Amino acid sequence: MSYASQARSALRICYFNGILPLWRQSTLLIAIFLTPVSFVFFLFVIAPRDLFAYGVVGGILFTALFTGNGMLNDCAYYRLERQLQQVFVASPVRSTTFVLGMALSELAFTLPAQALFFTILWITHPFGPAALAGLLAVVLLTWLMATTLGFMISTFYSQLREIWPVGTMVFSTLSVIPPVFYPIAAIPAAWQWAAFFAPSTFASQLAERSIGLATADPTGAPWLGVPGVQLLGLVGATALFAAAAAKLARWRER
Amino acid sequence: MEILSAERVSKTYAGARGVVRALDEVDLTVARGRLFGFLGRNGAGKTTFIKIASTLLLPTSGSVRLFGEDVVRHPNRVRERIAIVPQEGRPFYHLTPLEHIREYLRVRGVAAETANARAEELVDAMGLRPYAAEPSYRLSGGLQQRTLVAMILATRAEFLFLDEPTIGMDPFARRQVWQVIRDAARAGSTVLLTTHYLDEAEQLTEELAVVESGRILYRGTPEALKSRVGREVRLQFEGGVTAAELAPFGPVFAERGKVIVATTRSRVAELTQLALARDATFNVGPVTLEEAFLALVGRSIEEEEASA
Ligand SMILES: Nc1ncnc2c1ncn2[C@@H]1O[C@H](COP(=O)(O)OP(=O)(O)O)[C@@H](O)[C@H]1O
Ligand SMILES: [Mg+2]
Repeated sequence: MSYASQARSALRICYFNGILPLWRQSTLLIAIFLTPVSFVFFLFVIAPRDLFAYGVVGGILFTALFTGNGMLNDCAYYRLERQLQQVFVASPVRSTTFVLGMALSELAFTLPAQALFFTILWITHPFGPAALAGLLAVVLLTWLMATTLGFMISTFYSQLREIWPVGTMVFSTLSVIPPVFYPIAAIPAAWQWAAFFAPSTFASQLAERSIGLATADPTGAPWLGVPGVQLLGLVGATALFAAAAAKLARWRER
Repeated sequence: MEILSAERVSKTYAGARGVVRALDEVDLTVARGRLFGFLGRNGAGKTTFIKIASTLLLPTSGSVRLFGEDVVRHPNRVRERIAIVPQEGRPFYHLTPLEHIREYLRVRGVAAETANARAEELVDAMGLRPYAAEPSYRLSGGLQQRTLVAMILATRAEFLFLDEPTIGMDPFARRQVWQVIRDAARAGSTVLLTTHYLDEAEQLTEELAVVESGRILYRGTPEALKSRVGREVRLQFEGGVTAAELAPFGPVFAERGKVIVATTRSRVAELTQLALARDATFNVGPVTLEEAFLALVGRSIEEEEASA
């Protein structure tokens, strides 16, 4: 198959694996909304009003990060439990097409939640088209990073039961501990550099900057506050996970 | 002309019980358009061979050529032209049988109209019409398996790998599926299927290989395998007589509470007297593949035990 038809195949996987089930099983929709919406709600109740925008950006990034959890579980489930990866291996569909199709399904799944968060953010903290473009770009980069990481982790396992706790652990850590829901200023300047061990911090700084919120000013490592460096950090992490996945993933078993 | 040729294919798995030799220098060829069966007990190595030939698994040594292409070196050239029903596969949770066929074909690059037409056709042929609009999570195991088989057969791939395609199906469904598999072969596809149902191997396959402990014990037609038993009738007793009592009449096979003896027509009367004297129920009929298989595999197990 040509590259164009591989791309169409990826979209097709997204359609029947991401959009159709969402349409059929609206409880899934609620499940996706639930955690980030409750976080945002708590912040709305307890946090000072000027910090609320950080919370909504946190909800957006949490949702984008958790596509990685879906990716991890779905890929493992299809490979180990349903033997469905096999029907794509023994077919004209290439591994990258399958992985991209799965990642797009995860993105499609989160679109309703994202639409809600973007609306809340726009109402409480109005922003222009340039800011919107910046935010969308960060969401897409975060989705790419997270799904690549999720896929990479899924390839480590040969038993589904071992996977259950892994995704929640990894992606909660990435979205709750680093400054995703709260401003990085809450961390003493001397320690802000440490937050950048989590790739999600790069994403949150870029997202917050694009809508004009205050971002990192780490003493000792001021270069970590430069947007170009942050972009490089996010893209670099994605590339790293992708390279590891390409090396470790078993499209054909050994 | 052969479409698949395997040469000295071996596969060892490193497991908890040490090294398992799943395939041991297997040589095999399959002719184009043939309906070829792999028959063997659980753990014989059937799935391992299918996975290697269908580019799902790397062999430890040896080579397989499919369409003249080396499956290890050029998997992508092979993948364009094959499809597989994996062992213990399950369909997508929320798709209906009709959608399964249509979506899988679309992902494989089949045009919309063709995909729709084939989905309708296969849903009818596989007896899935009453369930065509049910999401698969509401279907029974047998219907889910039929959905998966329909999805793969609809590809009309040049080479179809079917690993235990009729598992979990009722006798009517199995016959329906057999017919669809026969049609696929008649339309030009080559089919390699595994089964441990002897009647399936006997009725469906044109040629078969009996696999045991990673080796091929027999390769030929089901008829030729049956004729190896050297007797024409079988009598099956549900208890009441012992294997030792039957031994003078011919080869005896004991399996899960039943005793089978293969014998000649002339001795049926004598055996009937014996059964009546014991109040034993039996049935009688022509020798089947079961006796041939049990004789062949039983002998191989005995040899292995003797050499160990
Ligand atoms: N992934 C694996 N790891 C370790 N051993 C395996 C693996 N897959 C199969 N085996 C072993 O290889 C042998 C052949 O298995 P298989 O090819 O599945 O047989 P069949 O399909 O004929 O039932 C069995 O002894 C099985 O336990
Ligand atoms: Mg098997």
